[in-house]
Amino acid sequence: MGYIVVQGFLLSGLYALIAVGFTMIFSVGRVLNLAYGVYIMLGGYAYYFAAQVLGMPKTVAFLFAVLTGISFGVLTYLVLVKRLQHDPIAVEISTLILAVVMQSLVILVFSAAPKSMWPLIPGALHYEDLSITNNILLAMVVSWVVLGGLVLFVHKTHIGRAIRAVSMDRKGAIVSGIDPQRINLITWAISGALGAIAGVFLATYTQLTPDMWVAPLIIAVAVVIVGGIGSIIGSLVAAHIIGFMETITTTLITPELRGVFTMLLIITVLVAAPKGLFGKEDL
Amino acid sequence: MTALLEARNLFKRFGGLAAVKHLSLHVDPGEALGLIGPNGAGKTTIFNLIMDELKPDSGEILFRDVDITRKPTHERVKQGIVRTYQVPRPFADMTVAANIRVGMMPDDLGSMMRHGPDLAREREIGLSVGFGDRELAMYPGELSMGDLRRLELARNLAADPKLLLLDEVFAGLTVAEIGQISDLLVAHKKQGLTYIIVSHDLRSLAPLVDRVIAISFGETIAEGSFSEVIENEAVQKAYLGN
Amino acid sequence: MARAGLRKALAGWAGFGILMCLLPLVVSTGTLRIFIFANFLAMFAMSWDILSGRTGYISFGHPFLIGIAGYTTAMLTYHLDVSLMLSIPAAVIAAMLAGTLFFVPALRTRGTYFALVTLAFMELLYGLTQVVQPKLTGGTRGLSGLPAVVSGAVPNYYLSFLVMFVIGISLWLIVRTRIGTALSAIRMDEDAVKSTGLNTTKLKLFAFMVSAAVAGVAGALYVHYLGSIAPRGIFEVNFLFTILVAALLGGAETIIGPIIGAYFLTFLLEFLRPYIPGTGRYFIYGLVALVLYYYAPKGLYGILAALLGRLKPDRPGT
Repeated sequence: MGYIVVQGFLLSGLYALIAVGFTMIFSVGRVLNLAYGVYIMLGGYAYYFAAQVLGMPKTVAFLFAVLTGISFGVLTYLVLVKRLQHDPIAVEISTLILAVVMQSLVILVFSAAPKSMWPLIPGALHYEDLSITNNILLAMVVSWVVLGGLVLFVHKTHIGRAIRAVSMDRKGAIVSGIDPQRINLITWAISGALGAIAGVFLATYTQLTPDMWVAPLIIAVAVVIVGGIGSIIGSLVAAHIIGFMETITTTLITPELRGVFTMLLIITVLVAAPKGLFGKEDL
Repeated sequence: MTALLEARNLFKRFGGLAAVKHLSLHVDPGEALGLIGPNGAGKTTIFNLIMDELKPDSGEILFRDVDITRKPTHERVKQGIVRTYQVPRPFADMTVAANIRVGMMPDDLGSMMRHGPDLAREREIGLSVGFGDRELAMYPGELSMGDLRRLELARNLAADPKLLLLDEVFAGLTVAEIGQISDLLVAHKKQGLTYIIVSHDLRSLAPLVDRVIAISFGETIAEGSFSEVIENEAVQKAYLGN
Repeated sequence: MARAGLRKALAGWAGFGILMCLLPLVVSTGTLRIFIFANFLAMFAMSWDILSGRTGYISFGHPFLIGIAGYTTAMLTYHLDVSLMLSIPAAVIAAMLAGTLFFVPALRTRGTYFALVTLAFMELLYGLTQVVQPKLTGGTRGLSGLPAVVSGAVPNYYLSFLVMFVIGISLWLIVRTRIGTALSAIRMDEDAVKSTGLNTTKLKLFAFMVSAAVAGVAGALYVHYLGSIAPRGIFEVNFLFTILVAALLGGAETIIGPIIGAYFLTFLLEFLRPYIPGTGRYFIYGLVALVLYYYAPKGLYGILAALLGRLKPDRPGT
């Protein structure tokens, strides 16, 4: 029981990070990005490559992963989205195709077999009969630090406020002298970084597989639907609900069914309360 | 005579901001009501509430004495309320004729499948706003702002409405285009159409309206004839600031 | 004016039908089998197109519908020896029912949310079929040795083509009506459609039901043609990708486009196959698809229509 509580919190922190990175792009560019899942996958594989294949020190490998995420985010924006952003359908389709391309590329380079990642911090904490891996603890700490940093960034820094301005009222922001294209670029870069960080931890928590870009997207969309659009509190609460549900399922039932209850939750919310728990607008 | 549309005590807030506060209004059959006020006063929000594009936090809306507050948009349109948008929203990949066709369509799958479009009626509606066969075959991307506004009017008229909500229908138009639209509105008013018109262009609005309401910060601050409202001190203050 | 266009188009369909019926006389069995796959892909692509291509609600859940139908007929015939005359309609009903249960709430979302929620359905089944009652579903390996509807390349070719042809003409006739216009309008601006007095939920539901029915028929027949079904291969992103790309490269929103796209894609993939190693296939396919989609978002149908300037009767708005 204690295990579930602790593990639930830890996983939820990671899920909150995943969801926030995802919604950041939408609120700014009004364009949802399927390739976000790819940042997560690339982050995991980049870290694996640097740390376990090349043998680089962990912090360097981590930085490498983040840089990979940023580069890919910027690249996706410049090559695809910038040209297609007036047509959201085109963005959905092309980012899906892009995800398939990247998944295949990863299979080509790394093979399709799942890989186990060494934890970032080996060992575990023991308290009475509870043991928590240091790794997931680190994941939670980093997730909250990053989330906190994001909130500060968005409220206190000039660029952060510009991002908020564009997300609230694009035309008004332009009139105030903000360049929305530049803001979009920065937001996609940040999203890439967030995804990569989440990816490293997700990979160490579960496994590295070429199709690991799908599950985080589903978690992100579940968090947004359950929590409601436009509400950070909603996202945090929803991330915890889902994190706990999955932990309970994995521990008490079977790991494969972990997504089932999330799915049922999505459907229930859509039928009974489509705005989500704290949502202010309709989806 | 009962009002055609009556809104009672509408309240709508967005986050911390009350966009519409205890607002009531009514419009009688065949009347043209002007709705004026500075930017952000809540005028478009009122239209959105009437059309169910937004849900009020409290208040009721009655159309011909029937409470439509819970009815979805398409039901309200079927009752006879239509609107135009501040920035026109034509169906971009369809011709003008097809746009009108959508406006004319019955909400009945069987009928949609069994019967083809009524091309003669489409032409008729097109003509009633000044579109000939050439315009009917054009796409929204090829039209001027004035044409786009006329397209929206045509699409709305195709639905055989009783009440037309016009949101800044004169914005972005040349003087000639304004004249065209004005004439259209007057012509249809003679046939019994009722209007609520939101407009910043007070000069163009004046000859069209029977009565005017002025709104500021979501509340009514004046009501009466056009000249009465324009000369009202509170209204002038609202427009010009303190 | 519309009548002449209709007659020309129907003549086109008839010509296409006759040509394709003569095909077995001139090509090898191997090529026929490629055409069979193309026919099934065309059915899947059309099913996707009448919902997603038309209304703009991009569904990533069609493998879910196809899989439900496939598994229903597979399990009925494998475990209970149910006759195909019953199991296939049962499969179609299952697809429509399951679809309603899942897709209808999903239709309350839009855009990428809808896409991702429907993607989640597919992922869900991928997990469920492996873990829940593996004796029934065959678990990870799936079920094989399923009865065929007909045997041999030529009969299967005629079966797949006939069904595809009937579906194609039916869908094409439906979207030529005002329903097609209304559905396309939903893609362009759903709120504006509501403000013309149309119940968009009803319209979307109709499109969805038709889409699910087609997916069900095609899925059930496909599974019996292959003789087997397994989670990998149906509930996977590569399959989804193939269906989408077929519809898009052919030309979404046109029904005919997906047919063209399915044939084009099937043969393109056959052509590329010997040049690429197995694992890297989708990398190349994906890149090709991305480039083609980027430069020709209206697909082959769009290109042909522009060249001929005459296929317009199918496009909404004329």
